[in-house]
Amino acid sequence: MDLLISSLSLGLLWSIMAIGVYLTFRILDIADMTAEGSFPLGAAVTARQIVAGVNPWLATLSDLLAGCLAGFVSGFLHTKLKIPALLTGILTLTGLYSVNLLIMGQSNISLLGRVSTVITQLSGLSPTFAAILIGALVLAVVIFLLVTFFNTEIGLAARAVGDNEQMSAANGINADNMKIIIYMISNGLIALAGSLMAQINGYADSSMGIGTIVIALAAIIIAEVLVQNLSFGWRLITIIGGAIIYRLIIALVLQWGVDPNNLRLFYALMLTVFLAAPLLQQRFAQQRRRQKNMASFKEEQHD
Amino acid sequence: MTNQALEIKRLHQYFNRGTSNERHILRGLDLTLDSGEFVAVIGGNGAGKSTLMNSIAGNLPVDEGQILINQEDVTYESVAQRARLIGRVFQDPQMGTAPLLTVEENLSLAMLRGQRRKILTPGVKRRQRAFLQEKLALLNLGLEDRLGAEIGLLSGGQRQAITLLMATLQNPAILLLDEHTAALDPETSQIVMNLTAKLVAEQHLTTLMITHNMAAALQFGNRLIMLDHGKIAVDIRGAEKEKLTVPDLLALFKQRSGQELTDDAMLLS
Ligand SMILES: Nc1ncnc2c1ncn2[C@@H]1O[C@H](COP(=O)(O)OP(=O)(O)OP(=O)(O)O)[C@@H](O)[C@H]1O
Ligand SMILES: [Mg+2]
Repeated sequence: MDLLISSLSLGLLWSIMAIGVYLTFRILDIADMTAEGSFPLGAAVTARQIVAGVNPWLATLSDLLAGCLAGFVSGFLHTKLKIPALLTGILTLTGLYSVNLLIMGQSNISLLGRVSTVITQLSGLSPTFAAILIGALVLAVVIFLLVTFFNTEIGLAARAVGDNEQMSAANGINADNMKIIIYMISNGLIALAGSLMAQINGYADSSMGIGTIVIALAAIIIAEVLVQNLSFGWRLITIIGGAIIYRLIIALVLQWGVDPNNLRLFYALMLTVFLAAPLLQQRFAQQRRRQKNMASFKEEQHD
Repeated sequence: MTNQALEIKRLHQYFNRGTSNERHILRGLDLTLDSGEFVAVIGGNGAGKSTLMNSIAGNLPVDEGQILINQEDVTYESVAQRARLIGRVFQDPQMGTAPLLTVEENLSLAMLRGQRRKILTPGVKRRQRAFLQEKLALLNLGLEDRLGAEIGLLSGGQRQAITLLMATLQNPAILLLDEHTAALDPETSQIVMNLTAKLVAEQHLTTLMITHNMAAALQFGNRLIMLDHGKIAVDIRGAEKEKLTVPDLLALFKQRSGQELTDDAMLLS
């Protein structure tokens, strides 16, 4: 039961970040590495402010802006300077590593003790339940806003750019600007997840971004494998399920006695399996059809 | 002076300029289209027809020359910037629509061509639905009941008809059609051609239509130009064009270029 509840609370957080990654991954077809930098960026910006006594809700909102800025940098490099998307992400991520250290002034800030976070603000609740409540609330708002945005004139244009860039240009849509907008929203959400994570875990750490993209992609792929062909809004909702399931699997693996130091190797292996699963499935089906086809010819010879 | 919808002055286009593979495709091409002219463009493979169209639409940066649409200089504008003046249908039916968006979403995108897109206004407007359905009904393909269908699920002909509609929803200053029926079966091709003629006539659209089908080039439009080696080799209008026959055209082409012309209709028969 404890396992379920802790998986739920962490899974909800992960899904905020997975939804962010989903926007670049599925709308723009880019696995944006910036995520690994904007996640700790969100944590750093929030931690620094919280320690300085800023209202935790304000601190949490401000990291959204910081994440948008990181997304803007990547989007700008990719669209205006035509740097390939993978390199763009690596460039921003590398730069952000220093930026994050600069913001925090050290590699680690503890948020335990007398400081006020969004978790301690809900003092009537246990920290885990406070985390679940906040995660669910933030997700509800985020999904509502995203669905609304992607149905506005600009949002529709942004989707068209991801779907058919040539067509969007022919209809007067500036593809570069739309891509930058998506980059910004995506990284804003990832930074928000980083900020909440720091407040729940009680610390911000400059290396906490490692694995962000792998976790997010795993959550997305689980959701896509389990439920296919969904509208945008429903897809976002299923990603929450994907993230929780993924967290549950990992919790089980840890309980099983896997050394936490090996956890990232496990993340990578699991995502590899998820990514390859659709292809393997197809191959097996094809193999079976071929065998059946060959068998029918053998029968003919015997006739 | 009549209103000029398109004016191309001394247009030169090169590929791989400055390298040993340099190819001079358009060689000082001059072309002026009066408002309302419907021009069929023919020419051999590699004559530069698509290069001309890509130059007008902005897909190819202009090497030398000037392009004016409705007397506005668009020579150095991007595709998206000059889209306010241009409606375009590509040869590939996949290219003109966004496959994951619905019919209604695609049409709504096209309704805003040339306008500033807003963040607080819904992309699909309920009050436009009846209007869009009415437009779709004109296609006679039963699409008026399929506003919510993803475009990717429709046939090539249906997609091409919708692209044509999208290109003409906001009266463009010039309509560009690059072999827009070449990928369709003969029957669907006929439907889309007739639809083209109807829309062009109703909205008095200035149109440039590339085709390899000589019969279509003669049947449609009030002017015919033949491109050869990056220049306009033949330019025939009005009554003179009416009198022209397919054999005339093929002979004319052979005389001007010393080559045989490919004709879709002849290839098929
Ligand atoms: N990107 C490119 N790089 C190099 N050469 C090109 C490129 N695009 C086109 N060409 C060449 O330019 C010439 C003109 O091409 P274009 O597509 O304009 O011909 P076209 O008249 O449309 O022919 P078709 O009837 O076959 O469509 C061709 O010889 C072609 O090989
Ligand atoms: Mg061509």
